Amino acid sequence: MVTEKELISKLKELRQIKPEKEWVSLAKTSILGETPGFYLFPFLKLPSASEGGRRKFTFFAPALAGLVSVLIFFGVFAFSQNAVPGDFLYSVKKIKERSQSFFVSEQERPQASLESAQKRLKELTKIAETNQGKKLPQAINEFQASASEVAKSFSKTEGIGSNSEAIKKIVELDKNKQILEQTLATKIETEELDNTYKNLAEYLISDFGTRTLTEDKEEVLSQMKELAKQEKYLEVLELLPLINE
Amino acid sequence: MSYFFPIIIIMANYRKEFSKIYDQCINKIYRFIFLKVSSEEIAQDLCSETFLKGWEAYKNNPKIKNPSAFLYRIARNLVIDYYRAKGRTQFVSPEVVPIIDPNPGLEEKAVLNSDLGQVKAVLADLKEDYQNVIVWHYLDDLPIPKVAEMMDKTEETTRVTLHRALKALKEELDKREVKEV
Repeated sequence: MVTEKELISKLKELRQIKPEKEWVSLAKTSILGETPGFYLFPFLKLPSASEGGRRKFTFFAPALAGLVSVLIFFGVFAFSQNAVPGDFLYSVKKIKERSQSFFVSEQERPQASLESAQKRLKELTKIAETNQGKKLPQAINEFQASASEVAKSFSKTEGIGSNSEAIKKIVELDKNKQILEQTLATKIETEELDNTYKNLAEYLISDFGTRTLTEDKEEVLSQMKELAKQEKYLEVLELLPLINE
Repeated sequence: MSYFFPIIIIMANYRKEFSKIYDQCINKIYRFIFLKVSSEEIAQDLCSETFLKGWEAYKNNPKIKNPSAFLYRIARNLVIDYYRAKGRTQFVSPEVVPIIDPNPGLEEKAVLNSDLGQVKAVLADLKEDYQNVIVWHYLDDLPIPKVAEMMDKTEETTRVTLHRALKALKEELDKREVKEV
C-alpha cells in the first residue's frame, strides 16, 4: 500500500519522460523553418517583439537568415522523403504532406488521397521487404488511416463514379494491397475502403442501367451485375474501361 | 516591395516568440500526450501537429493570452481525434499476431513491472479529467488557480477533482499490488 506522499513522489518521477533532443530540434525546424543560422551568425539576431526595434539591424540579416533557413528546411525535407513509419524523420515527412494537403481543392482530394495511400502502401511494402517487424504495426496503422481518407474523399465528390482514371487507381491500390497481404500472409482490414468499392460498383451499375448501350456493353453490364451479386465489387470496377470506352 | 521587408521582420519576430514558447512547452506537451497514448511515435506525431496548429494560429493572432493553455487544448483535441479515428479503423486482424512480438523484451518487461511503469499505466487508465489534473498539478507544477483555469472549473471544484483523482490512482495501484501478491 503506497502512502499519498510516496505516490506524489512517484508521480513527480514521471517528469523523466522527455522527447528525444534530436527530434525536438528537427520538429522545431520543420514547423518554424528555424535554423541554427540565427545562432551561428550572431549579427543575424533579430529584435524580438518585446524589444520593439530598439536595436539597429541590417535588412540583409533577415534575407540571409531566410536563405539559410530555406536551404536547411529543404535539406531536411529531402532526407525525410525515404523515411518509413518508425523512422526518426518520418514525422517531418508527415508534416510536409499535411502542409501540402492544405492547398488541395475538394475536387483534387480523391486523387491526392489515393496518392497518399499508395505512398503508405509503398512504405509498408518496404518495411515488409526489409524485415523491420517492429515498424510494421505503425505502418499498417498509417495505411489504414490513409485508406480511410480515400474512402472519405470518394464519398464527398459527386460524379466520381464516372471518373475512370480515379477508379483505375483505386483498383491498382487494392491489387498492390493484395500482393502485400500475400507477402505478409495476413489480411489488412480496410472496412471503409471496402464499402467504397461497393458504393462505387452499385453507382456504376445503376448509372449505366439508365443509358442506352450497345449489345457488347449490355453484355459487360450484365457481367457487372452478376459480379455485384457475388459481392466481387472490385471486379465490377475493373470492367469499367470496357463499358466506358 | 516597400512592404516586403516589414512583413519579413514581423514574421521573424513572431517566429522568434513562438520559438520561445516551443522551447518552454515542448517537454510538457510531449509528456502530456505520451502519458495518454503510450507510444513514442504517436506522441511525436501528435506533438508535432499540436505545435504546427499552434504556430498557424499564433501567426494570425500573436496576442493569444495563455499560449501554454492554448497548446494543451489543441493537444487534448488531437488525442481525442486520434482515439476516435483508432476506434473507427480496426487495427489489424488477429492473424497478424505472429508478426508483432506479443512478448515484450526483458527491458520493456522491466519498465512495465517497475513501480514507475505501473504508475504510468494506471494513470493512463484514469478518466481524462483525473489524468489532466494530476499531470498539470504534480508533473507541470501548475498551482491550483492555473489548473482551475485550464479545466474551466472553480478552484474548489479543481481541489476536489485532484483529491478524487489521487484517490482513484492510489486505489487502482493498491488493487494491482494485491493481485500481484
